[in-house]
Amino acid sequence: MPGASEQITRLLDEGMAAIAAARGESDLLDAKGRFFGKKGAVSAILKGIAALPAEERKAVGEMANRARAGLESAFDARLSEIREKERLVREGRERIDVTLPGRGPMPGHRHPVSQTMSDIISVFRRLGFSVQGGPDVETDYYNFEALNFPPEHPARDMQDTFYVESAAGDLVLRTHTSPIQIRTMERMKPPVRIIAPGTVYRSDSDITHSPMFHQVEGLAVDRDITMADLKGLLTEFCRMTFGPGKPLRFRPSYFPFTEPSAEVDIRCVICGGSGCRVCKESGWLEILGAGMVDPSVFGFVGYDPEEYAGFAFGMGVERIAMLRHGISDIRLFFENDIRFLSQF
Amino acid sequence: MKIPYSWLKEFVDTRLSPAQAQEALTMAGVEVSSCRFLGEGLDSVVTARILEMRPHPDADRLSLCKVTDGSTTFGIVCGAKNMKAGDAVALAKIGARLPNGVEIKKAKIRGQASEGMLCSEQELKLAEASAGIMILPEDTAPGIPLADALGLSDWLLEVEITPNRGDCLSVLGVAREIASITGEKVVLPDVSFPEEGAPIGDLVRIDVSDPDLCPRYTARAVSGVTVAPSPDWMRRRLTMCGIRPINNIVDVTNYLLLEVGQPMHAFDLDRLRGGRIDVRAPKEALVFTTLDGSERKIDPGMLLIRDGEGPVAVAGVMGGANSEVVDGTSRVVFESAHFSPPSIRRTAKRLGLSSEASYRFERGVDPAGTVYAADRAVSLLSRFAPCFVARGVIDVGGKSVTPRTVSFRPERATRIMGRAYAPETCMEIFGRLGFPVADDGTGTWNVTVPTHRFDIEREIDLVEEVARLSGYESIPTTYPESKAPEFSGDDRFVDVQERAFDFLRGRGFSQAVNFSFVAGRTWERLGAFLGFDPADAVRLVNPISDDTTLMRPHLLTGLLSNVADNVRRFVDDVRLYESGKAFGKSYAGGHFEEPRLGMILCGKRFPGDWSGADASADFFDMKGVVEPLLLHLCASPVHVVPTRLRPFFEEGKAADILRDGEVVGWFGAIRKELLASFELTGPVFYGEIRLAKAAASPPPPGQYEPLPKFPPVFRDVACVFPAGVPVGDVLAMVREVSAEVEEAGVFDIFTGEKIGDGYKSVGIRVKLQSLDRTLTEAEVHSIHSKIVNLLENRFGGKIRTS
Ligand SMILES: [Zn+2]
Repeated sequence: MPGASEQITRLLDEGMAAIAAARGESDLLDAKGRFFGKKGAVSAILKGIAALPAEERKAVGEMANRARAGLESAFDARLSEIREKERLVREGRERIDVTLPGRGPMPGHRHPVSQTMSDIISVFRRLGFSVQGGPDVETDYYNFEALNFPPEHPARDMQDTFYVESAAGDLVLRTHTSPIQIRTMERMKPPVRIIAPGTVYRSDSDITHSPMFHQVEGLAVDRDITMADLKGLLTEFCRMTFGPGKPLRFRPSYFPFTEPSAEVDIRCVICGGSGCRVCKESGWLEILGAGMVDPSVFGFVGYDPEEYAGFAFGMGVERIAMLRHGISDIRLFFENDIRFLSQF
Repeated sequence: MKIPYSWLKEFVDTRLSPAQAQEALTMAGVEVSSCRFLGEGLDSVVTARILEMRPHPDADRLSLCKVTDGSTTFGIVCGAKNMKAGDAVALAKIGARLPNGVEIKKAKIRGQASEGMLCSEQELKLAEASAGIMILPEDTAPGIPLADALGLSDWLLEVEITPNRGDCLSVLGVAREIASITGEKVVLPDVSFPEEGAPIGDLVRIDVSDPDLCPRYTARAVSGVTVAPSPDWMRRRLTMCGIRPINNIVDVTNYLLLEVGQPMHAFDLDRLRGGRIDVRAPKEALVFTTLDGSERKIDPGMLLIRDGEGPVAVAGVMGGANSEVVDGTSRVVFESAHFSPPSIRRTAKRLGLSSEASYRFERGVDPAGTVYAADRAVSLLSRFAPCFVARGVIDVGGKSVTPRTVSFRPERATRIMGRAYAPETCMEIFGRLGFPVADDGTGTWNVTVPTHRFDIEREIDLVEEVARLSGYESIPTTYPESKAPEFSGDDRFVDVQERAFDFLRGRGFSQAVNFSFVAGRTWERLGAFLGFDPADAVRLVNPISDDTTLMRPHLLTGLLSNVADNVRRFVDDVRLYESGKAFGKSYAGGHFEEPRLGMILCGKRFPGDWSGADASADFFDMKGVVEPLLLHLCASPVHVVPTRLRPFFEEGKAADILRDGEVVGWFGAIRKELLASFELTGPVFYGEIRLAKAAASPPPPGQYEPLPKFPPVFRDVACVFPAGVPVGDVLAMVREVSAEVEEAGVFDIFTGEKIGDGYKSVGIRVKLQSLDRTLTEAEVHSIHSKIVNLLENRFGGKIRTS
């Protein structure tokens, strides 16, 4: 078949030209159909090969197959080229501004006092303490007497008390969460290991005192509890709350329901100890009151002080929140200004 | 209490510097909150004398002075007029930096050079205000540092005394503390004086009719005294300690109060009718005028000092106007008594009158110290005011004073503190304290406690002494042995609360904390809208202000005023929640308090949304928080029903939430009148959950059911109902039509002309599903017919065919 190779060459040229000329995917697929379809040019040539003399058949066949393979890969390459181009055009058209805000509310904010309280609670829960609550409106017995504040004792002046109207005249707003100590010990036998978070009230108002504030109090009673244990526990608490490397100072103090009693100071978190307005130039910040449970408190709940010993500690949540967040006026906590809350 | 360091040194010649004393006392439990050098800022201020004074040629209000410090003459321009040539004054030289921060520079004032400044007491921070410059006593030598001239080369210690340490409310008491720390010795000043007057018994007769309330009454008397100002040094010390000097007699009593902590009183003997004193509580109420000029209502049982005819003082609290020392007084009785602390406290509280005396008596005054104080008083007085001290001392009840003995086991201290205290250590500490110890070898000691230590009655009190005086820093840090932790109901509550907070935070709510007390007048004014009779509220007897008179019966008013405050600050989209207690009287006669979770919402549905959905939030936004919150807290299943019981909501936009038939919360649109009273206009939505009830008894763990293997069928029904038909009820009943109804929901709801007034069109989508087979067309048709039947016959619906 003279001309068979010319035919193939021409076919190849035409095919390549058609591929190059195709503008879009459908254009290209049309062209592909023209060449590779059942009635296409390639089939015609392949059919023609069968009619060739045997000696030519091999060489022409090889040539035809090469041409076909070349065309096919050119088609494929052109097809992905066209598709890629179309994808880019389409995506460009559908592109969105990913920097616009997402739909739905942004998270709100925890109140710093509540957050601080939660953090304190979770530290002590990890240290094996369990939460106990109690009433805000308390009796004089639980708030004072059973905590070894006898009637007519000047220790009662330590806490300016709100009294609540009642028939018996013995109701107060609790001035500390310490009544929960008594209520818990009345209910259970040692070992006791509780923390008592809650709202407390004192008739006092200025930039560091609020008539309502929050306290977390802790109590542990067992056969072998010592003041050294108290020191260890509170050291650990302060490390977890204020971070490592903040020295603590325990100094003797007085609370009616603990003896010996201690006031716990932390190295001033503002000035690092060199003295500033916040620590009143002392380099120390008072953060906790603590001590060993007074034997007379055990007397009120029927624990034998010769058998058991215990420690108690208490802290003002607002004070710790103020130190953590650098807040200087306690009243900000109760204004619920969203601009304030959004800072935490 | 303020104590000058120099005064302490008179009682204990300590080696501690003022700063060391501050540190040592603080670490022993007697907190010294400040230790201030009184001469601060007076470095370049000296005494000077005015040589010459003339008016400023160009300024009427100014004077030109020539002053000398004894060697140099200075020209000073001064704005004050209260001085004259010859006066001794305080001169701040060039370079001085005064206590008020002013720096003195060489200056020309209206053309005249000024080489320093003549200072006022105010500028030197010696007084709050002063009318002119400070004029020093005439005999002041010029050229000495002002601090020395005024006795200000001293430190003032501010000591905070805890209620148990009444013994430290004096110079002597703090000196004893220093001695207990350092082991130094306390030395009492000599109190010898000549007794040249008549025997005291001839001058005054003293009876104590109520010895329980007055265990000891000691008196000294003087005659021939002239009432006059006391010497400068005494006036200065009193002033430093915050007591106003009055006259030599009264000043001496106040000086002793500060020095040894013994409150004293001086009576004008010539004004004591019948020349006698009787200490007794009246049987009947009476009115008595105290020396501050106030009429006091005296109740039976309040201890009085009486003369031959009537009361002359409220014992231990305040003297009377009728017997106080006055200008012409020449004969004086000094009272130095011991009164029972609870009696003094009751009286002072009932009279609303707390004095330096009553403050100390309440906390305990050494009953053994009365005679020393009386002697010290007359001895001081006789040194600067010529007088005759009556011979002898009256001392009623003096023999009854005996020190207490307390047992102590050194081993006990070790047990409590968690560090070993050797017996020798304890012994040494008791030695420093001046507590004699008897050790009979049984391991239990008998420790004798001096009478001034009221606070030491039990072994634990001695343990504390050992612990504090050996230093808390010597206590090791150990850890309490760990035990299996408890998980209490309150632990669970804390967890539930924490989950609620997280949920609400995710929904864009911020947390508020309001006071538990609210303004009663708001509740009285708005009672009809607040849904709580103020008479049922828990009320405070002594509120701190009108805004805190009753305990809130619910959380609404706090959150509502927070919204109003934020709107006023240009924050319009407000979402707040609060967790706190509500209070009220209970039917049982006591009171209740209950934890609640309040939520409030106003402004846009999606604040900050840019895609056109800037609609205002409505009732369903609040429902869409409250209901899923309850599901989140495992409180399901809950039912939402319309309510008319909550007047703070608009009627028709209010719902209660029921769980097991009990109301666990409510929500709705806040009533317009209530909004108006908080100056709010837009709709505000509120929800409140009874947190403990909602979260009570968590549901049991969910049980697995096999998943359906056959395809579901969906059917939509559009139906027109009378507007009042509750769609929630419709859906609930549709779900009950047959077991194959797996879900029924609303996909569309509208009203309008097409539907007709008083009607609404509701599109309901039903999902039908069988676990064991594919539903046939006939089955689906049958269920659908039942549903249509229900909608039409039960709810008056009319199926729409579009
Ligand atoms: Zn500091």
